Amino acid sequence: MVLFLQQLINGLSVGSIYALIALGYTMVYGIIKLINFAHGEIMMAGAYFAFLIAVSTNLPFVAVMLISMVLAAVLGVVIERVAYKPLRNAPRISLLITAIGMSLFLQNLALVIFRADPKIMPTLIAKHPINIGPIQVGTVTLTTLVLSIIFMVILDVFVKKTKPGKAMRAVSEDKDAALLMGINVDKTISLTFAIGSALGALGGVLYGITYTQVYPTMGILPGLKAFIAAVLGGIGLIPGAVLGGFAVGMVETISKAYLPTQWTDAIVFGILIVVLLIKPTGILGKNEKEKV
Amino acid sequence: MLKVENIDVYYDKIHAIKDLSFQVKKGEVVTLIGANGAGKTTILKTISKLLTPTQGNIFFEDKPLNKLTADQMVYLGMAHVPEGRRVFAQMSVEENLQMGAYIRKDKDNIKKDMERVFGYFPRLKERINQPAGTLSGGEQQMLAMGRALMSKPKLLLMDEPSMGLAPILVQEIFNIIQTIKKTGTTILLVEQNANQALQVADRAYVLETGKIIKEGDAKTMLNDDSIKKAYLGG
Repeated sequence: MVLFLQQLINGLSVGSIYALIALGYTMVYGIIKLINFAHGEIMMAGAYFAFLIAVSTNLPFVAVMLISMVLAAVLGVVIERVAYKPLRNAPRISLLITAIGMSLFLQNLALVIFRADPKIMPTLIAKHPINIGPIQVGTVTLTTLVLSIIFMVILDVFVKKTKPGKAMRAVSEDKDAALLMGINVDKTISLTFAIGSALGALGGVLYGITYTQVYPTMGILPGLKAFIAAVLGGIGLIPGAVLGGFAVGMVETISKAYLPTQWTDAIVFGILIVVLLIKPTGILGKNEKEKV
Repeated sequence: MLKVENIDVYYDKIHAIKDLSFQVKKGEVVTLIGANGAGKTTILKTISKLLTPTQGNIFFEDKPLNKLTADQMVYLGMAHVPEGRRVFAQMSVEENLQMGAYIRKDKDNIKKDMERVFGYFPRLKERINQPAGTLSGGEQQMLAMGRALMSKPKLLLMDEPSMGLAPILVQEIFNIIQTIKKTGTTILLVEQNANQALQVADRAYVLETGKIIKEGDAKTMLNDDSIKKAYLGG
């Protein structure tokens, strides 16, 4: 039972990282119907930004985190402008292939700049265990969980209550109608990439701290798992990404506790296959007719 | 107020509008009537810059529109109630109306205008927190009209407001158009329901396969034999 509870907390923590990354996938999909496969690399870039700032300055963790998020937001916007915007009216498959190309490009760019050997992430969060009854929770685990939830709440308020947040929802529902309202669609799409990338970078920073390593291909596996999380919850739906993220994190840590570790990834990827077979629209998704 | 000069528009590869010119004066209600596929929707979409003409010019209050984009039209004072209503289905009635006032910053007046819209359409007020997708077709049409009015337009473009509605609702919608007309808003109305459109309009243009084949006073057209035969069912 203690093991189970322990893994439950770990699952929540890992799950919250997946949820943060999944939010970027789902928001971008919601607004331009693109699975942005370069999103895992944004997460990787976020982790490298944090690494670089941490080794070259004495800034506290929160500052390192926020600056990394801002830099990743800029990177996300630049990628959208350079690679995706020119294809706005192209077939969706062209956009998807471009995203895969962008993912490989960023991985290899990181390889050239930083080399393949993993860098050790400086200790940004002081590590000491906290005892809650029989369960021991690390500060990193707890910080990850708390920070993720804070940013999810901020995102929720932003999307529901603010004018740019509402404009974002309007654009994702109907671009032409949004234009008729006077909404600048290009700017709204940029804003979506900025927010999605910042959240992905936060995931990357926390992932880097949790596993104490930063390396050029670190975005691939968590990126794919976050993608599965987004699909599981219902791609395009913000609550779906959060739900899916936590679900994938739980499945992963619980299966790690009771099954041989090699099974973990197979089980997580198995979820994708099952979802696609049984309910392709995800847990929260409704079966809607494809709009022409 | 609105001047369309010799425009040609292609819709995909179809030459939908051919060398077409017309104008709408300030305070007028002008209707474009014609059968399905005559190019009515294409014209409205071209005026609000969702489509670009290959030839010709459009002027709004003597300003040429060719360098501007669709999202800038609202700022000039144009609002478009699109065909098929196109409300934001996942957003509430209130949020839809707020989107209509997207370009405005005068919060207090926005509230007042929302009340004005609820005055026209009391049913929207009852459903203020409901997602627009759960409204009936007639209510969605009311919401689309209310949303357009929220920008305080000088020129209101309306595309088939009666489409798919029960006769009693059609009457209600046209009564509201009459009311909006009285507030001094200029209206360009595209309709298949020629009878209703001609009753509310001052002037009319008859459209056939991308060309204007007839124009004139709306009341005169109501009594025109050829129009009666072709568009008014006898």
